[in-house]
Amino acid sequence: MANLWEIKANGYMPQRAYLKLMVNGGMSLSKVILLNLRELRRLRVIPSDGERYSRPSRQYEIPTFQEGMRSCRSTEKYLRPTLFCDHHDPLVIAIANELGAFKVSDREFAEAAYHFVKERMLLEERTINDVGETLVRGTGTCFHLITAFIALCRCAGIKARYKIFAMNMIRSWYDVVIQPDPFIKKWYDSLGYFVLEGEGEVLVDGEWLVANVGPEAEWQAATGTTITKLGEDSIGNWFNAVPGTMMRMESLPYGLKASLDLLHTIAPGSMERVNISMAAQKERGRRIIIEAGGLEAYDRLARARQGPRMPKLKLESMKQITFDG
Amino acid sequence: MGYADYLNGFEKLVTGYVPERSSWGPPEHALYGPPDPYRVPTEEANDLCFKAIKFQFDRHFHNNRMYHDFCLESNVCPEDITSFQDLCKVPLIPNEFFKDCPSGKDFALWLANVYTGELPQIQIKGANPTTDEVIKAFNDAGMAVFFSSGTGGRHTFMPRDMRSFQMNEYAMAKGVVAMFYPHWNQNMHGYLLLPNPFKTNLFAGRLGTIFVDIMKEVEMAIDREIDTELIKLSMSDGKGLKGRMVNYISKKRHQKIINDIISWIEKNQREGNEMAFVGAPFLLYATIKKLKKEGRSFDIGERGAVLTGGGWKIQEHQRIPESEFRNDVESVLGIRPEHCLDLYGMVEGNVWLTQCPEGHYLHIPNCYVHPMVLDDSYQSLGYGKVGRFAFLDGSMYSYPGFIITNDRVSMLERCPVCGRPGPVLEPGVTRVPGKESRGCAEEVRKMISVDMKR
Ligand SMILES: [Zn+2]
Repeated sequence: MANLWEIKANGYMPQRAYLKLMVNGGMSLSKVILLNLRELRRLRVIPSDGERYSRPSRQYEIPTFQEGMRSCRSTEKYLRPTLFCDHHDPLVIAIANELGAFKVSDREFAEAAYHFVKERMLLEERTINDVGETLVRGTGTCFHLITAFIALCRCAGIKARYKIFAMNMIRSWYDVVIQPDPFIKKWYDSLGYFVLEGEGEVLVDGEWLVANVGPEAEWQAATGTTITKLGEDSIGNWFNAVPGTMMRMESLPYGLKASLDLLHTIAPGSMERVNISMAAQKERGRRIIIEAGGLEAYDRLARARQGPRMPKLKLESMKQITFDG
Repeated sequence: MGYADYLNGFEKLVTGYVPERSSWGPPEHALYGPPDPYRVPTEEANDLCFKAIKFQFDRHFHNNRMYHDFCLESNVCPEDITSFQDLCKVPLIPNEFFKDCPSGKDFALWLANVYTGELPQIQIKGANPTTDEVIKAFNDAGMAVFFSSGTGGRHTFMPRDMRSFQMNEYAMAKGVVAMFYPHWNQNMHGYLLLPNPFKTNLFAGRLGTIFVDIMKEVEMAIDREIDTELIKLSMSDGKGLKGRMVNYISKKRHQKIINDIISWIEKNQREGNEMAFVGAPFLLYATIKKLKKEGRSFDIGERGAVLTGGGWKIQEHQRIPESEFRNDVESVLGIRPEHCLDLYGMVEGNVWLTQCPEGHYLHIPNCYVHPMVLDDSYQSLGYGKVGRFAFLDGSMYSYPGFIITNDRVSMLERCPVCGRPGPVLEPGVTRVPGKESRGCAEEVRKMISVDMKR
């Protein structure tokens, strides 16, 4: 158990914005539950003749940990272990070494870790657990997958952190994540946004690069989005962050596990329905990619559809412009 | 009269728009230099154009933070642009970029950050200035910030400095005068089917400024102050009390303008004056329809000229067929089709394409503009294919004038009808499907509805 100093220093305590989101999310959840008790009871379980979710097998071999494999032991911020993200775990060390830790440049390692998590680990709704367990299973929510990415980077001595925000999503995501389950739909619709979503960030050559490791290529094809690369954001792509909710964190905060556990206890059927829908969509995405003529061809098409690249404008104050009010 | 004397008559009237020749750089040589922007021999045009664009590209790369970063992201720097063939590498900014601007004080910073070069001192008053107040503060300080409006109430804002704006005015007028040769003369009486250029920051309106200098007496169709608020109102869907009011006033206002135009023609016809109609086609179209209905016609003949611009929409889904319009202009006003030309340009650039009298193809002033047509993946297509129009504007000082438009065009290497050497667009430019429809004529059309003054 962490002592008080660690709790504060490692950012385990939720930030203000996070607490606010949790309170709002919790209140709207309670309201949806209270107003839909009967329906919720029906939705809690999947009927015996209904379609069930079966977890796909792990997409990679687990390398063996060997004595002498290097890992970063720094206690510096963004390099030390945090909640559910202990990169001293032998499995993390073994995979990080296999991906080239301490042998390749930071950028090359970050790319390798990004591709490993994004392409080989699969999205699945479930409760929070330690990163080692996630790597054994090979699946998890975006928070599991971000944690895996962050642990691998930290293990290789590259600073990494969480970027957490509330968001609303584009229609094609809504249709597969929210729409399939009446309970989730009511909750999302009543709030107008999804309480928590996240991405990883890794510090490479002095610059924090965003790493959206959640959606696999098949999933992105099914939702009509581009196949994102390291440094490309989900925000402005398929998510829009709710203003004022963006948080950078060293650790997943206390309370996140409890809230996800609670959700799975209240509505296990709903979580399973989301998983069933996601699996079906990934299958559809796989066919879309084949029809487009492969991954690269699909990505080119999706990028063309997205429109031309826009310059980014940072609003900087200038001495020539003065305000008197 | 020979072309040199004809042009000389024009140049004398527009000296205020032309900087001292000794101060000219490549952009001025390309824009002010050629006697006829549509008749520069190809090799010479390419040379002028390359030098002007190269000059501007280097400036924007080194003096505009936003464009500098954009170029680095695109892996292009000034060393990569060394010949005319390299121009296709210049990173292009989608025109949508100029619509995504913030409001209040941030709008002022947005304009300032998009701008290339040294800004004058600009003081913005008030804690939460409106868009119009910000524009006014910039223009009071000597800038020429104008906007153009879209159907969704989204405006396009372009921060020009006076130098770039004067180049714009000059280029437009010279192109028109060259195409109308030998028909234009300074004793023409003009009717601007546009807002009063001195009372608006609307681009379509401000363009009229130079016509006041090159014609004798100029009448304005819409004589009131027009700001972004008014346009938002006039572009609204006509629902609600405000909307219904707008529609009602619109009808009255519309009739009044049509009657004014007819009286104006009668008066000038009586006095034997030369007449030029300049602006949105739908107003003239409506006038002709009314005259036709009443069985009346005029024989203006050689004394008349029509210059249209800004799009051919009359209703949400109805376009005026251009050739039918020219036939009507001939049968009802007696003005020959070769004296009825359309102009294509936009707030985003100083790029003015004028139709040739022979074939009504839109000629591109390729001595300072490099035109491109792009496919759906924003790659350059060759000649003869339909795609999205994009251009590099070698005259634009105040922001990177390297723009992707939402206009669907087909570009030909040469005009199939006349002997001018440069490339042309086929007549009938439309919007890329799925993009909001917008056009200066559309603005004027909807604006008349709220002109409550007269
Ligand atoms: Zn021609």
